[in-house]
Amino acid sequence: MKKSLFRPTDILELSIAYIFCFFLNLLFDYGKTLDLDSYLLEAFLKNYMDYRTLIVLVFTSIAIVFHYQMLRRKKEEIFCRILVGATVFHITIRYIQDCLRILIPVYFLSVLANFYMNFNLASNFYLVLILITYILISARQVRKYENF
Amino acid sequence: MKIFKFFVTQIFLRKAILGIGMILLLCMANYITFTAARSILSTFQGYQETNYINQEGVYIANLDPDSPMDMGFISESGTQAVYDYLNSNFDYAFYTDGFIVSIPNPDGMEISLGYMNEGYYNLKQFELSQGTDLDFNYQFDREIPVLIGKGLSKTYPVGSTIKMEESVLGRPITLKVQGVLKQNAYRSNYYALNSKTYYNFSILVPVNEEFLNHAAIDLTLNGLMDVAILGTTKEETADLGKVINDNLGLEFNFLSQQDNYDYFKEYYLHALKMICIITFVLLIVITCLSIWNAFVSVRSMLKDFTINLLVGLSDSKLKQIFYGYFGILSFLNLTAVFIITAFNRYGCWLRKDATFATYGLFGLIGMDWLAFLLVAASDILMGVIVVESMLWKIKKIPISLGVLQ
Repeated sequence: MKKSLFRPTDILELSIAYIFCFFLNLLFDYGKTLDLDSYLLEAFLKNYMDYRTLIVLVFTSIAIVFHYQMLRRKKEEIFCRILVGATVFHITIRYIQDCLRILIPVYFLSVLANFYMNFNLASNFYLVLILITYILISARQVRKYENF
Repeated sequence: MKIFKFFVTQIFLRKAILGIGMILLLCMANYITFTAARSILSTFQGYQETNYINQEGVYIANLDPDSPMDMGFISESGTQAVYDYLNSNFDYAFYTDGFIVSIPNPDGMEISLGYMNEGYYNLKQFELSQGTDLDFNYQFDREIPVLIGKGLSKTYPVGSTIKMEESVLGRPITLKVQGVLKQNAYRSNYYALNSKTYYNFSILVPVNEEFLNHAAIDLTLNGLMDVAILGTTKEETADLGKVINDNLGLEFNFLSQQDNYDYFKEYYLHALKMICIITFVLLIVITCLSIWNAFVSVRSMLKDFTINLLVGLSDSKLKQIFYGYFGILSFLNLTAVFIITAFNRYGCWLRKDATFATYGLFGLIGMDWLAFLLVAASDILMGVIVVESMLWKIKKIPISLGVLQ
């Protein structure tokens, strides 16, 4: 990651954001398996289980916030890289690759957790698609900083 | 105001994604607080309401979950024998509901009939908005005096009659409106205190011995399931249990006041504790995420903040701007929670769900408003934490460094 826009703290922050999203999804899967003998608790948890996809989607907004603020902070760096010969295309591709390098291990970790807990392995795949969409949308932002 | 408008339009809204992120996190915090507050308030409301039956010497019948139920064994003569024993040996509170009938009303609701005896009526102490108390010494082949919910009071004012072609008596009956219940009168389920049945579209029919003697087995058997024996002892209820077993083949438990308290402690307090813990943990997580979002905002807007501080903006003014901005975000969220709740309540009217239809501003009742108050309090607390964290972060960075950024 020599030419990467990511610093160790950025990698850590994005990893935590992704882990949090997958963990939340895992928590909902776990909640579904609970055999509660309390009607009160069941009725309370139903408020969340009924809207699980929406809730997970809302929390994925932290990934959007991360991408947005990181690229804004890096606009000078992007401009300087272009000045010294890099192209917007290569910076964008490298950015997408870096994001995927963080996302894929986190996804496999969550698949492992699902496997360990006997949950449906495909239950978190939709999150990968959503997060990749965020990465692709945010990658378009790189082009905006071509002219600083 | 001018500077506040400038900050909102030229600084905060220019990085709208950060604001939207904060709105979404606040929305989750509000939803979690609201659902938890409503669950807890509804349970305590139910607990307080059922105090009328949870008294010394009162035993509530409950079908043993392991008791086999052989409908072939249950007969009208069997239930009659049980009621004969009950009438001659005990005072008891009888109540059963859920008998749905179609009675014309402007809201097109299906009407739920509730049947109760004098013992229950005296214990429950219904509050009336119109009319007079029920008289249980009536002839069931004439007009039966009844109480109705507010939703029926315009179509069927006090003194009017309602004709029903089918009834639990197996023949047409005529009901006479004796009184109108206060709006949003409700009854909590003994075994799910957070669950309530609202009487706005119900008719409460008084039953006496003669009525019970002629009623269908559905009514008498259902009524036995929750019957409360008044002023009795454990030994006497054991005898009653034996009579029920001999005549109906059903195993009944009779729960005393102490049993109910123990049940509440073991079952509800544990669930309430779990709800509090889950809510607390989720709120802590969301607060941490909000602080992270706030720090990210500071990082992105540092130049704007420090330039304004350099040209004379005071720390206290900046604080006011932040609190004002957070106040706007909270207000937007509270409005969203209000709309969702109102839609939820109003949905009962659209679905013609008579047992949950409530009156109030957009159908919202006292419990909802109280939960809103708690949501507002949690927003204030979160606002203080987030804004103070932002100010701390800004103060930590020297102005010159901020400007250079």
